[in-house]
Amino acid sequence: MQSDHTAYKRIKDISRDEFILPGTTVCAGCGGLEALRLAHKVLGNNVVFVNAAGCFTLLALFPYSPFKGSWLYTNMASAPAGAQGIRDALDILIEKKRLRPEEDLKVIVLAGDGSTYDMALSATSGAIYRNLDFYYFCYDNEAYGNTGMQMSSASPLGAKTTTSIPDEQSPMGTKFHKKDIFEIWRAHKPPYIATISPRHPVDLSEKFRRSMQFKGPKLFIALSPCPTGWLYDPSHSAKIARLAVETGIWALKEAVFGETIHTYIPSKLKPVEEYLSVQGRFSHLFVPVRQDETIKKIQDEINYYWNHTEIQK
Amino acid sequence: MARELLTGNAAAAWGVRLADVDYVPAFPITPQTEIIETLSGWYSDGTMKGKFVTMDSEHSMLTAAGAASATGARVFTATSSQGLLYAFEVLYSVAGWRVPLVMVNVSRALSSPITLEPDHNDILSARDCGFLQIHTETCQEVLDSVIMSYKLAEDRRVLLPVLVNLDGYYLSFTREPVEIPDADKVKDFLPQYKPDHASFHASGPMAQGLAVLGGYIYSYFKYQMHLASLNALSVHEEIAEEFYNLFGRKYGVVEEYKLDDAEYVLIMSNTFATKGKAAVEKFREIGCKVGLLRLRVVRPLPTKKIQDILKNRKGTAVIDQNISIGYGGIFYSEIAALMCNEANKPVILSFICGLGGKDISMKEFQKILDDTINASLTGNIPGTQLLYTDVEWAKMKHLLDVAGKPVI
Amino acid sequence: MIRIRFHGRGGHGMKTAGRIAGTAAFLEGYYAQDFPVYGAERRGAPITAYTRISKDRILERGIFSEPDIVIIADESLINDPAANPLQGVTKKTITIINTMVNDIKDKFSILGIVNTIDATGLCLEIIGKGSAVSAALGGAACRIIGIIQKDNLINAVIKELKNINLPEELIEKNVEVAEKCYEILSPIIIQHGEDIPDSPIETITLPYQYPTMSSPSVFSSGNIIEKKTGGWRIFKPVINLEKCNKCWICFVYCPEGVISLDESEYPHIDYDHCKGCLICYEECPVKVITVEREIETW
Repeated sequence: MQSDHTAYKRIKDISRDEFILPGTTVCAGCGGLEALRLAHKVLGNNVVFVNAAGCFTLLALFPYSPFKGSWLYTNMASAPAGAQGIRDALDILIEKKRLRPEEDLKVIVLAGDGSTYDMALSATSGAIYRNLDFYYFCYDNEAYGNTGMQMSSASPLGAKTTTSIPDEQSPMGTKFHKKDIFEIWRAHKPPYIATISPRHPVDLSEKFRRSMQFKGPKLFIALSPCPTGWLYDPSHSAKIARLAVETGIWALKEAVFGETIHTYIPSKLKPVEEYLSVQGRFSHLFVPVRQDETIKKIQDEINYYWNHTEIQK
Repeated sequence: MARELLTGNAAAAWGVRLADVDYVPAFPITPQTEIIETLSGWYSDGTMKGKFVTMDSEHSMLTAAGAASATGARVFTATSSQGLLYAFEVLYSVAGWRVPLVMVNVSRALSSPITLEPDHNDILSARDCGFLQIHTETCQEVLDSVIMSYKLAEDRRVLLPVLVNLDGYYLSFTREPVEIPDADKVKDFLPQYKPDHASFHASGPMAQGLAVLGGYIYSYFKYQMHLASLNALSVHEEIAEEFYNLFGRKYGVVEEYKLDDAEYVLIMSNTFATKGKAAVEKFREIGCKVGLLRLRVVRPLPTKKIQDILKNRKGTAVIDQNISIGYGGIFYSEIAALMCNEANKPVILSFICGLGGKDISMKEFQKILDDTINASLTGNIPGTQLLYTDVEWAKMKHLLDVAGKPVI
Repeated sequence: MIRIRFHGRGGHGMKTAGRIAGTAAFLEGYYAQDFPVYGAERRGAPITAYTRISKDRILERGIFSEPDIVIIADESLINDPAANPLQGVTKKTITIINTMVNDIKDKFSILGIVNTIDATGLCLEIIGKGSAVSAALGGAACRIIGIIQKDNLINAVIKELKNINLPEELIEKNVEVAEKCYEILSPIIIQHGEDIPDSPIETITLPYQYPTMSSPSVFSSGNIIEKKTGGWRIFKPVINLEKCNKCWICFVYCPEGVISLDESEYPHIDYDHCKGCLICYEECPVKVITVEREIETW
């Protein structure tokens, strides 16, 4: 079943059908699961997920699966290649009349930021290059979450991870800048790329709906607040996702064949401090000694983005 | 039926064509590339129906192959050497999905130092992953084995992927006469693949390759793969019989060459077995009762068969074209292990030869035989020997000298 | 030798509790061995931790199934087959349960001595958060066995919590919690179980099974709903439907999809599965969701 909405304009346009059932061992308050649940409502039931090793690998744990649709585990570096194999096989079997067309499935890669930004970048680039007709859902919790929050190339400047613990040498924690995967993808000019947030469900749903008109790679990066790794109370997941958007550190946008449009522009950016100060992974920027320089650097980068990017809506 | 001069690579491609394969994800690597070039051409000109796709790496290639096979298509792919190693973790993954794809490995020795000529460290590194392994000697055997492998892999009692091995250069680029079976007859032998244990489609959702927590669950699945692999021995016999009836060529899990009355047995695999057979002929001319056992189905290893063949012989020389660094010959360790509880076992000697494609001469076969006879008579069994001649050593010293590293 | 087994969920800190007991015993001059067993690094999933304490060198290794002491971090684990905390509990076992439920011994027919302690309540009172009860239950274990002095418990708590990078003021509060548990409880004389002679193992020959069975696949889609995750909750969201304005917010923002809307669009929580993240409580725009301390989870 697939949502028959023509457009998502309000929260009550969201489907009441559930496609991922509860009972999983995903952490309480997982922002990534929230985003996936909403996305699935738009994509409908006829899907096959190709899941790179990561947190979501353990959504399914023998002998249990939460998915009403199909699912395949792949190694961490090659989920997009798995999607290629399934997509091609379905096309061939339908073409050769060994599978009825109504048996077709949407093929969706599920991958965390460790896979997306680091290990599977080559496989993803290859799939986009080959114009593979698939969806890519990255749950970005900005670290290697499944192994206990080690730094990934999605970890933002100033975040504490278990492999970038603030110390005298680098008191800010992570000293590198988050890779701009959106722009890396955009350079490939696929039909559709979007950033999404679980706290903007209408925007999220509408993006998935819009993307479905395109044949080819459709890629989504979901900001996935992670109570376990970002060190905040699970009840604050939605709040933190909202602050990410309102402070401008997470820009909601899409790019259709490389043309970027911002789908939500905060009327006035909140200071990034409001976002940072509610997460334990940034607590060292405030206590025992306030690291003004790092906070300012993070703020300046956000300001630069919004002042120097051609913002279209 | 047509008879043509074909390279091993062309024979592999012909096997794939006759098996009516749906899908080939590929990635180039010497000396395998010719196979995928040929297939690419056949898919693009419509000779073959389905799809050929060039992937971004062997790791991606094998993932795509496994996923397509898990969806229900008949799938082929090929690689060599470093490519096989690049795909290594995926070998284990797709074998665990129990998908019946066939993959050709064109053997090439592993880096470092990098080289292009064959030995079997690449293919033997993959011996424990769950893929069946068939090692071939001739271009004809390559073609036939690819076809037979699909029937073996897709059998309900097996459902494991198969690796068909052929030697780089000595087979991949070597032309010899090959009979190309009629497509219709192959269709009778190998009907369309109909997956009923695993496929992705809307009306039958399934989750595949789930994580397990708990050793008894993991052990169950792994042990099932082992049982399936062992089943392949008798299934191979059935398939080989059917193949023989249709096409007139007979393949055993091992090849027994002049073994009936043989007192001494050379054990070899792949193309250099041909040279071994030539040596057997020569020794027979001078009245020495020597035969050759060629390992063909290497996984599952036909242990019972090999035990039956070797017991009551006087001596055996295992000639490994591979080296397990820090141990010695890989096949030697397997043969020695499977014979260790036999009452009337021959002396078993171990020789390493052909690393990086190094040739093996008749003089070296003579040494192997002399040592084996001597050991059986005296009971003094030498340790593993690397066959390296004085001429080769002289040439090597010269190269070291040129490299600015004079041998003192 | 004393064998202590800790049962908790990811986030309870049972690995740390086991280590606190191990370190305290080590500081006391004993041989100690501790290790956790868990599937993945995630909150809520059952984990087990093991601590062995002995005067002599320890030659055992790995899990044990006949514990002298069992520590259970919340009572919802008792009936969770993935945790199975009562396995090997005999009439000689001492079981300590973090719970507010009365008569828990009879309720679950637990053999041996059963003590309860409201460790979560203590943590809420002293630390302000109730999710991690490592210091409390590590302290409880140290007290029960009766061979560890308070200062060695405190040193162990500090050492282990420093090890997981807890800020100093939080460590201080945890020390206070551990001390309190130490003071509330009293040592219990440990009666080691008699050595039960091992019955010979029967091995079977696994039959070959067709890969429909024997590949790691699942055909029953969505069957995970059979697994209940309601036991993860410390707090329970309760919706006052009389004041609910049917805005859908709680339904939409629930990551687990455990809030469904009825025909009149009123939200209902599936308490068998609600993990108690309380996003619904935080996000409810008309504030008609309240939070209650979970006393008896399900």
